[in-house]
Amino acid sequence: MRRLEYVVTTAAQGFWRNPVMSLASTFTVGLMLLLFAFFLATDRGLQAAVGVLESKVELALFLEDDARVSDVLDLRARIEADPAVSRVDYVTKEQAMARLVDIAAKRPDIQIVDTSENPLQASLEVKLAHAQDAPRVTAALREEIGKGVVSDVVDNPQVVDKLLTITRVLSFGGLAVLAMMLIVALFVIVNTIRIAVHARRDEIEIMKLVGATDWFVRWPFILEGMLVGALGAMAATAVVLVAAGPVMNAMVSFIEILPLSFGTTFVWQLVGSVFALALAVGGGGAMLSVRAHLAK
Amino acid sequence: MVALLGRGNQLITLDDVSKRYPNGTDALRDVDLEIDSGDFVFLVGSSGAGKSSLIRLLIREELPSSGRVWVDGQDVVRMKHSAVPKLRRRVGVVFQDFKLLPRKTVAENVGFALLVTGHSGEEAREETERALALVGLSQRRGHFPDQLSGGEKQRTAIARALVSRPKILIADEPTGNLDPVTSWEIIKLLVRVNELGTTLLMATHNAEIVNALRRRVVHLDHGMVVRDEREGQYAA
Ligand SMILES: Nc1ncnc2c1ncn2[C@@H]1O[C@H](COP(=O)(O)OP(=O)(O)OP(=O)(O)O)[C@@H](O)[C@H]1O
Ligand SMILES: [Mg+2]
Repeated sequence: MRRLEYVVTTAAQGFWRNPVMSLASTFTVGLMLLLFAFFLATDRGLQAAVGVLESKVELALFLEDDARVSDVLDLRARIEADPAVSRVDYVTKEQAMARLVDIAAKRPDIQIVDTSENPLQASLEVKLAHAQDAPRVTAALREEIGKGVVSDVVDNPQVVDKLLTITRVLSFGGLAVLAMMLIVALFVIVNTIRIAVHARRDEIEIMKLVGATDWFVRWPFILEGMLVGALGAMAATAVVLVAAGPVMNAMVSFIEILPLSFGTTFVWQLVGSVFALALAVGGGGAMLSVRAHLAK
Repeated sequence: MVALLGRGNQLITLDDVSKRYPNGTDALRDVDLEIDSGDFVFLVGSSGAGKSSLIRLLIREELPSSGRVWVDGQDVVRMKHSAVPKLRRRVGVVFQDFKLLPRKTVAENVGFALLVTGHSGEEAREETERALALVGLSQRRGHFPDQLSGGEKQRTAIARALVSRPKILIADEPTGNLDPVTSWEIIKLLVRVNELGTTLLMATHNAEIVNALRRRVVHLDHGMVVRDEREGQYAA
């Protein structure tokens, strides 16, 4: 398999022949991939959050931790008296936790990393007979906030709506930026390989004159492009792994649910996608570049 | 197929070949030429007569403007692009400007021709040693081209052309810049290669060598074959 050895060593030599250019394009590709990874992770995170919220009830009254049970039951009876309300469930802190654990267990893309503390609040979950009454009922229930029992009223359909909007905006904006970065990365790779081809034009000429096939001429360059891509992917993956913790914490305190983390399946999917894109951009860019040269 | 039938022993056939370069220069005009397997042929003519142009057609470095070219039974003009590498592996060419890679040693330059055509490193090493021994350069295998004399560079180029055991060896002006003694050594080498069974086509200006060897001489003048003699002389 000296043939493979030839292709690999030639590609590696090509990379180090012009280290500044190679590292600059590696950096560009890495940046593009980082954006791609961030985009994928955020998108998946929001999807998961929407999923969790959608599986909950329509209105939730979060209760103060020190609220008296008799007051809670009293409130519950008053709410049930409203004809618009079909049902009210009392969910304790422990029940809330158990339910979240249950949801996470059913989803391969999220997992609960820390269950030592229970930051969830007890709540009264209100199911409405008619969805159109939601604003009125919500407004009425908000009156209860600050009287020692209710700490917050959450209108879930509204939150889900907001999240969906964020997801959509992020998808469009992210895709646009990503497309731009992709073009930049491709451009940089095409140029890097063009320079590599130029540096070896005598060798290429002789290769062709002694009967090397076009593919044999192309492979080292395609591999060099893929090498740039792979190194960029490694850098991006490293950054993602290092930054994942802090970013996750920030997200958690923002969304205010338990510290949720992406499951290992998703992490592998993410790394796989990043590398696949990296190799495609690197190899594809190189191919475009060599093709242009060989056509001359 | 018609081309193959009745073509007998001919390794190279040019049928009414003309070559006009894009800038309008007529390098070859209505050239008919047949070279048999095992032949030793001198291609002579003054500078600009079209010798290198004819050679370029044989390995499809250029295409003729009109006419047909066959090499080893294959229609060089109409062959698929993907068939060109195989053709070139069967035709060894020693280029007028050597085309050696300056950053590769003698052995690497020679082995390069095998490595880039998919041969194993083992095979490349063995065949390189054989070719270097044949041209008498085994002692110089680790030298770089700029550490070689003109004759040694020429031998390196010949070794590279021979390393894939081609049926035909084409040498373009192999004594161009060499002193008479070195020129004769190169010629003796080519004669030996021919005697070992390789068909030889050699472009040259060197009248002394042509006259001494008394081989077939094809004379080009302004792109036309003006003489083609079995035991020819270099007549000015
Ligand atoms: N690529 C090219 N484009 C245009 N004209 C060319 C090209 N190559 C050669 N020519 C012209 O074609 C003619 C034949 O050139 P060629 O190189 O075949 O001559 P030659 O017999 O090999 O000469 P020499 O003995 O000097 O090597 C010359 O007039 C030359 O200027
Ligand atoms: Mg010439």
